[in-house]
Amino acid sequence: MARSGLAAVLRVETIKLNRSLALALTLIAPGLIAVFTLFNALRMDEGREWSIWMTGNAFMWAAFMLPMSVTALSALMAQMEHMPQSWDHLRSLPVPRWTIYAAKALMLVLLVILMSLAVPVATAAALVVAGWISPQTGGAGLVDFSGIILLYSRIALAGLLIVALQFWTAIRFTSFVPAMALGIGGTFFALVAHSAEAGVYFPWLMPVNMLVTDADRWGLALSLGAGLGLVGLILAVLHLAWREHS
Amino acid sequence: MTSLAIETSNLSRRFGRFVAVDSVSLRVPQRTVYGFLGRNGAGKTTTLKMILALIRPSAGQVRIFGHDVVTSRMTTAAMTGSLLEAHGFYRNLTGRENLDLSRRLLGLPRSAIDHALDITSMTVDAGRRVSGYSLGMRQRLGIAQALLGAPRVLILDEPANGLDPDGISDMRLFLRSLPDRTGATVLVSSHLLSEVEMTAGHIGILHQGRLVAEGPLERLKAELPVRLNLDTSNPERALALAQSRGFSATIEGGKVLVTIDASGDVRQAAGALNRSLVEAGIDVCGVQAEARSLEALYRRVTDVPAFPSIEEAA
Repeated sequence: MARSGLAAVLRVETIKLNRSLALALTLIAPGLIAVFTLFNALRMDEGREWSIWMTGNAFMWAAFMLPMSVTALSALMAQMEHMPQSWDHLRSLPVPRWTIYAAKALMLVLLVILMSLAVPVATAAALVVAGWISPQTGGAGLVDFSGIILLYSRIALAGLLIVALQFWTAIRFTSFVPAMALGIGGTFFALVAHSAEAGVYFPWLMPVNMLVTDADRWGLALSLGAGLGLVGLILAVLHLAWREHS
Repeated sequence: MTSLAIETSNLSRRFGRFVAVDSVSLRVPQRTVYGFLGRNGAGKTTTLKMILALIRPSAGQVRIFGHDVVTSRMTTAAMTGSLLEAHGFYRNLTGRENLDLSRRLLGLPRSAIDHALDITSMTVDAGRRVSGYSLGMRQRLGIAQALLGAPRVLILDEPANGLDPDGISDMRLFLRSLPDRTGATVLVSSHLLSEVEMTAGHIGILHQGRLVAEGPLERLKAELPVRLNLDTSNPERALALAQSRGFSATIEGGKVLVTIDASGDVRQAAGALNRSLVEAGIDVCGVQAEARSLEALYRRVTDVPAFPSIEEAA
């Protein structure tokens, strides 16, 4: 029998998402923001600047929806293996064990980036629809799409440390409770302390710090979030591959 | 070239202070169905997981076709198909899609799926989602998954679990035919003695983490002493007479149980005893030889009584 590498395992992870709740969540999370934006725009008497909508939704995404989506998505992806107890089967195959976890981590990161980039697209779509329904509403002014995409990309990258923590917890523990408790707790503290000076060092506030104008501050948050996130993901993959599941 | 498909040497596994598997040395010959027996908690699944390199031994080694499963895991994993207690199927996918995942990871052609489905009679239902499968169908799909790529060693943990009588019968025929059909060696763990007796050519019995019997089933059964069950008009006198003739005998439930050594001729001993009893004026209402069964072997090596007495049960 031929041996498979990371590419084959990654392809398998993609197939597993078919008709799954994890894939549904990837579509629903940005969709909820679009629905919110549509109704919010329709209740206004006149159109608002595109940049205001995009920045406002970016805060909503970075502070609440991103961490909650990462929490739910990582738990759902982990439960896909925990529930049918498929780890034993996967780990008995002639595949390097680290690739099993690396593929899952990569898929999670990919979905988080896609969701993050889908938020401004969904926001724009909602504003266009609002403009069709009620011409005086919708987005006003010019749109800096490259700036918007850059902002949401930075938010996603700064969220990598949250992804690493949630990924490790969700795979490490068979029960979904520790992962959910971590995600809800982290998001709660981020919401109540989002303007704290030391927030730049708190993983759940690193994406929010992408919205500040102080370049040093958002640079530090981005470096910590993306850098430690990458290191965290590598350590998580190595630890999960090394440890026994039984 | 080794004649053994699976070989373990002094394999042990501890969980804290608890010794789950204690110096087990299994020898599973090639192209056989090997029944791995033991009650729940005897250490069967832990042993199987060490054979599959899913958990690390505390001591000892496992070799599959001469390759160490820890140092050559990729080689041994490529030779092995397995079905453990859990099926590991994704309920959102169809049976065929589930097999396709394993096929891709094994690097096999698509035809491998059709072949495995055909062998397990799952072709018709392969397009349905696993969430709608019965337990028996999932078990068959699990075997199809284990058979992907025609592995040289098949490890099945309680494959008859959840199957109805027809399913158990099908499974038995299927397993028995596998070595001839595919050349595979099958290691099947079970606590269903009758099923193993009808399926396996070799057995190993695990009791409290230790291997207490192993070898060809017929040979092990032939080595068993046979018990003659004598129903007489006077058990006490019959017992004394049997003992005076050099037999080991006891009285249980009003009947005399005479043990005939494995090397002894049971028919001759039964005839001689019967004649002696009749000549001594003791009526013999029945003479019954207990069959040399796997159950008798199991009871003997694990020291489990056939039927606990009423006093013991109380």
